[in-house]
Amino acid sequence: MAQAATATAGRAPERGLDVYNQKVGMWVFLCSEVMFFAGLIGSYVVLRFGASDSWAQPGEVLNVPITAVNTFVLICSSVTMVKAFAAAEAGDQKGIKLYLVLTFLLGATFLGVQVFEYTHLIQHGEWQGSHGFTPRAGLYGSTFFTMTGFHGFHVLLGVICLGWASLQAFRGRWGSDHYHGIEVLGLYWHFVDLVWIILFTIVYLI
Amino acid sequence: MATIVAEATGQAILHEEHEQSFLRKYVFATDHKVIAIQFLFTTLFFLMIGGLLAVLMRYQIAWPAKTLPGGGILPETMVASGYILPEFYNSLVTMHGSIMVFFAIMPMLVGVFANYLIPLQIGARDMAFPRLNMLSFWLMVPAGILTLASFFVIGGAAAAGWTLYAPLSARPDLSGVHLGQQIWLVSLVLIGLSSILGSVNYITTTINMRAPGMTWFRLPLTVWALFITAILGLLAMPVLSAAGIMLLFDQTIGTTFFLPAGGGQPLLWQHLFWFFGHPEVYILILPAMGFTSEIIASGSRKPIFGYKAMVWAIVAIAFLGFIVWGHHMFQSGMNPTLGLSFTISTLLIAVPSAIKTFNWMGTMWRGNLRLHTPMLFAIGFVAMFAIGGLSGIFMASTPVDIYIHDTYFIVAHIHYVLFGGSLFALFGAIYYWYPKMFGRMMNETLGKIHFVLTLVFFNLVFFPMHGLGMKGMMRRIYDPTGYQHLQGIQDTNQLISISAFCLYASGFLFAFNFFWSLRKGRKAEANPWDATTLEWQTPSPPKHGNWKEIPVVYHGPHEFSHPDVADKDWLAQNERPDVTSPAGAH
Amino acid sequence: MSDHAAASEEHGHEAPNYLLIWLYLFILTVAEVAVAFVSHFPKWVVVIALLTMAMWKALLVALYYMHLKFEPKRLRLVALAPLPAVAIMIIAIMMEYV
Repeated sequence: MAQAATATAGRAPERGLDVYNQKVGMWVFLCSEVMFFAGLIGSYVVLRFGASDSWAQPGEVLNVPITAVNTFVLICSSVTMVKAFAAAEAGDQKGIKLYLVLTFLLGATFLGVQVFEYTHLIQHGEWQGSHGFTPRAGLYGSTFFTMTGFHGFHVLLGVICLGWASLQAFRGRWGSDHYHGIEVLGLYWHFVDLVWIILFTIVYLI
Repeated sequence: MATIVAEATGQAILHEEHEQSFLRKYVFATDHKVIAIQFLFTTLFFLMIGGLLAVLMRYQIAWPAKTLPGGGILPETMVASGYILPEFYNSLVTMHGSIMVFFAIMPMLVGVFANYLIPLQIGARDMAFPRLNMLSFWLMVPAGILTLASFFVIGGAAAAGWTLYAPLSARPDLSGVHLGQQIWLVSLVLIGLSSILGSVNYITTTINMRAPGMTWFRLPLTVWALFITAILGLLAMPVLSAAGIMLLFDQTIGTTFFLPAGGGQPLLWQHLFWFFGHPEVYILILPAMGFTSEIIASGSRKPIFGYKAMVWAIVAIAFLGFIVWGHHMFQSGMNPTLGLSFTISTLLIAVPSAIKTFNWMGTMWRGNLRLHTPMLFAIGFVAMFAIGGLSGIFMASTPVDIYIHDTYFIVAHIHYVLFGGSLFALFGAIYYWYPKMFGRMMNETLGKIHFVLTLVFFNLVFFPMHGLGMKGMMRRIYDPTGYQHLQGIQDTNQLISISAFCLYASGFLFAFNFFWSLRKGRKAEANPWDATTLEWQTPSPPKHGNWKEIPVVYHGPHEFSHPDVADKDWLAQNERPDVTSPAGAH
Repeated sequence: MSDHAAASEEHGHEAPNYLLIWLYLFILTVAEVAVAFVSHFPKWVVVIALLTMAMWKALLVALYYMHLKFEPKRLRLVALAPLPAVAIMIIAIMMEYV
């Protein structure tokens, strides 16, 4: 959407943010995502404050070691994502393909582990005497599944976009003159990682 | 209907370079002007539906013992043996509010006018993300279909009030509504997403795509209002989405966020809802204030009095709007200290609103008034909004509010600001920008009649409600005659209802004018109002891409009666670079 | 500010050491798990320590991976914009239960 300055008698368009539209748009969208997760996490904080006796201790119901490793997987995917972006900026076609595919795989792994954890909890989890830990398991269950579930949904959307971006990489779409899509996708992906950093601490460790 | 829409939008785009299929041009359109007009037709339709629901409500309130004429065509679950059922009445109340807020007023203010005006007024060819814009509209369509369909499912439409207070809204065994409530929540999430994506577009476009010379303080007040509104929507709407999803989960998968039996907190719902809800009502009024500023400056042939103060007032209203939500909850049993802080912040918000009101009056003072229909509605806005704002002062004070909460006093306030405020400004805006959108003028005589009828009947409907509220008539009740303390008010209720039917009927005069003028209205030139902002400096309707060349801006937005311009009383933003603004700043 | 005019397409700075940041993130994650399970501090100390470490990790991701440290000030303002709203919401609702 660049408008030729030459069409306007030599006057440059107003500066705005000195950042291209898609990047501005993604940051603005992420602001709304911050509010969405704040609504969920804020509710969690408030509900827990009001019912702190009927809350599980860290590790009592949830599997912290596996999730800690999963957290690490997601952090690694952020590294590969930013490396994909650096490769795109530099025009390194091999690097673009490698790192995009790696990010996709790491993201898919995170999701896979989450699904595994969910099934295990629903079938074998133990909380307050019930057999199986589900969203019906009081406020603890309600908040756990809703927060991690929506985070997982956002990861899924990200993984789908990463799959698309990887396909495009193999079609030679990305390069040093065409990398905005990767940068913007990267911003979304890092945000998803950031939210998980907070969720992991609050939900699993506190 | 489709052909009228197509013809209208066909008149709205002069065919140019590339040939696009009918589907691409009018249905899955990415041109912001076409999308705006799609929103316009859709929201006018929902305005009519919302009004119809209110008509049914008013009939029931005024004549609870009488059968509904023609009620036989409605299903037995709604009208049994000619009588509106109490359950259906609750749905009417709920869906009237919900449809008016989410499908009529908000998308008309934002979906129509932010889409239509922002690119044109800032000198851009389209929005930053045209395809995202298209998605925004097409999310509203399934949301609307779901909402209408919810009336016809078992259990009927949602019936827990537009505010969906838990636990009533979360417990089908209490509300009697099962599927309808869930459908409404899904619809809400869809329309929330539509709104958020729209906000991303409006914010990015306004920040990044302004024409050369269009600095922040040369933006028309309409753009400022729509920009700040978009920020409010961006930050507030997601909280409602989160809360709505939690409520949906409580109803469907067994979570207990808001259910006391499972340890949940009903008060949490109220906090989340109103944290969204209060910025929402400022979303509903700020664009209206923007249109009013625009129309009043243009109709008074004077610059807006105190342009910068108007901008800062918009910002102040938006910021304060985030810290007043508790004034909807004074009766909830919340922490009294919290209540005190909300009283203070709510009273404070009257200040920037008052500044705006005085500035509109200052703009008109000794102006060369052109009392055309848009101007009449804009002046009407100022007067009606002032009344609505004044009743707000009473409600801001906790001790007073404890008495009048959930009475018709509140209903009066809501409608003075939403109808007398937002809808009056919307009518004005439609009359004003119709020539630009469709290339034809609406009929001025019919417009003036519409204004007078609306003003008179509107006040007859809603002013008496202040008194009814003080006398203790509660909101959302099915049969006022069943209450001891309400004996003697039925005459007033009947007057209100008859006026409401007349008010609704006068809306059809507007509808007739609107559709008739599409084909038969006088052809409009580029600038029928002699206005200064950029959209009037391009043909009516603008071509795809809006301008041959992006304009360069030299002046502020409302330069009317400039002392250095002798031959006319207006100065377009993009003409005469040699003339500088009197204020000297830009 | 004027040299930022061309900054949107190219970074006028050296790329940060992404692997070093990753190492910090790894160390902080291990530290968090350790504090949560191995330490014998009172609960409120643990909570503050964990929240601090989580915020630190979040900042590292935002500033370096999301590039905020090197973006124009105005974009950082956009990114910060929701935080006051979040704070207001949580603090006010918390007052109900304190």
